[in-house]
Amino acid sequence: MRNSTTRRWQGVVAGLWLISAGAFAAAEIKEAKEAPPVRLDSTADHSKFKQLQGTFDSGPKVTKACLSCHTEAARQVHRTKHWTWEFLNPDNQQRLGKKNVLNNFCISISQNYPFCTSCHVGYGWKDKNFDFAAEENVDCLVCHDTTGNYKKLPGLAGHPAYKPVETPPGSGNMVKPPDLAKIAQKIGKTSRDTCGACHFFGGGGDGVKHGDMDSSLAAPDKDLDIHMDATGLDFTCATCHATSSHDVPGSRYKPTATDKHGAHIRGKMGQGNPATCQACHGNTPHKEKARLNTHAEKIACQTCHVPTFARGGVATKMSWDWSTAGQKGADGKHMTRKDDHNHVIYDTRKGDFVLGEKVKPEYRWFNGDISYTLLGDKVEKSDVPTGVNRIGGSPADGRSMIWPMKVMRGVQPFDPINKTLVMPHTAGNDDIGFWKNLEWEKAIADGMQNMGAPFSGKVDFIKTEMFWPITHMVAPKDKALACAECHSADSRLKGIDGIYMPSHSQKRWLDIAGWLAAAATLLGVLIHGALRIVMSRRK
Amino acid sequence: MKRSLMLIAAVLGSVAAGSAVAYDADWKRGRVYYRQICTSCHTAQMPKPIAPNDKVKADWAAYLQADKHAKGKETVKQYFGKPYRASIKATNQAAAKFAEVPDQDLLDDVKAFLQKGAKDGDAPASCS
Repeated sequence: MRNSTTRRWQGVVAGLWLISAGAFAAAEIKEAKEAPPVRLDSTADHSKFKQLQGTFDSGPKVTKACLSCHTEAARQVHRTKHWTWEFLNPDNQQRLGKKNVLNNFCISISQNYPFCTSCHVGYGWKDKNFDFAAEENVDCLVCHDTTGNYKKLPGLAGHPAYKPVETPPGSGNMVKPPDLAKIAQKIGKTSRDTCGACHFFGGGGDGVKHGDMDSSLAAPDKDLDIHMDATGLDFTCATCHATSSHDVPGSRYKPTATDKHGAHIRGKMGQGNPATCQACHGNTPHKEKARLNTHAEKIACQTCHVPTFARGGVATKMSWDWSTAGQKGADGKHMTRKDDHNHVIYDTRKGDFVLGEKVKPEYRWFNGDISYTLLGDKVEKSDVPTGVNRIGGSPADGRSMIWPMKVMRGVQPFDPINKTLVMPHTAGNDDIGFWKNLEWEKAIADGMQNMGAPFSGKVDFIKTEMFWPITHMVAPKDKALACAECHSADSRLKGIDGIYMPSHSQKRWLDIAGWLAAAATLLGVLIHGALRIVMSRRK
Repeated sequence: MKRSLMLIAAVLGSVAAGSAVAYDADWKRGRVYYRQICTSCHTAQMPKPIAPNDKVKADWAAYLQADKHAKGKETVKQYFGKPYRASIKATNQAAAKFAEVPDQDLLDDVKAFLQKGAKDGDAPASCS
């Protein structure tokens, strides 16, 4: 009996094997024509890795798991500007980077570390004693998240929330901690979303700082950016900023204003910055209208191909006046004022703002040289704004092109005795930060002491300006600037030295001389013709 | 007997593993489809388009489950169908790009985006 039952089961098993074998054979015939489905965006499915299963209660623990396979990654990151926030300009030896420079937005990171470092590619930079050598302090997820759920909140020194956090404080809006394991299991290549998580929000909000980078570039259409068009070429940031060993090329501290290397050829060494237009398009990019290539010798591609910035529906700050900060509402509390477009144009903590959308750039000769006014550099109060940065360039130096710029104008605190710009402690729920306490002297003294810089105790305000070369939001060619935008009396390039533009650079005496010459020629022809007729009749 | 049952389980398991895996919704494609199909049409026809963060996750789930568009005069699903995409692809780049994507995949993509971008989602999203 037992033997017969066993035989029956064996028969069933054999039958099932035959059926499945037949099914697989049929599938194989089909697969010979069509490959089986497979992930094409990565060679590894990280959800299958034991190291990433289970739960993680901190970012550094995720990093340790990543480093168990990617053994060199953290030390590669340690060599980059994204980690050090420092850059030594080889041309003028200025030590730049977010760790050292000032700006005319939120001014500086001194004593504001836990807030500013929510955009650091690391965990735990809460004061100047941060351990830059610790490998587990590198944040892999901030650049490699594909879920869009990884967020580093201001005030947490580069950490994500590990428990629900009310953001902003007092708002009642609770932000949930991200599921680190789930995010780690889905990591992938960088994207516009990951780079944009910081670069779209520079200056403290969406689109505030750059003007040509804001959240509208996360999934833009063709008109907003021909390269990043989500339904077209769909470039990520890394398509142009072609990264090697975690080092991202393309720097605002030492930009490439003129690229004479031409289009990059694979394998050729020393081709320069891969993020320039010329790196793909070469130096004679106009195939149909070759005449335009002569323009490309002196005019940056961006000048014609980025007709306006902040045109994705997100406004950018064009000026910031810190001197008016501190006004409170009728109830004695902090207040904000908004314009008709619901943009905040006054904030008790920050002063007055001017915002702009679809802004026409200003244009300047630019050769890539940028120098900064750093802490300790002498400044003089006057009606002429102090350059927080200054750009080099002229029509005659052989290195310059005419570039579009966002010029950020501001009024910011400075030390009128020592004649230096200052770094105030602004953010934080403590007894010093300006945003809570509204006392400049205390806030500046703390920020300057942290940097080891002198402060007289006196505060005044100084006009400043800062240049931001415009390079993103490249319009399709049919939306680029038309000829008349420059070749007209009201030219976009009016006031630019060293150029002669037909229909713009008009000189009345030259016009009169030209017309007189033309009239004299015509008169001469008429007289000559008349004489010939008269003479022939006489014959 | 026990060995034979284990063998059956192994065979059935291998057959199941060989079958199609569950579709992993692409919220980024859903975002593009929502903004360039749903938002662009609503922007043209309504005073204010509906942003993902205008509703909570449960509302979006209920809306898609009910499958009623224009107060029940038509279905939501029809706007994810290939015929609809074909009808607008000459003027809509998203419809052209995703013309051949299976209907259910696109619907799942947009669902994923709406769950994520809802007011109580992991990353509340506006229209742009």
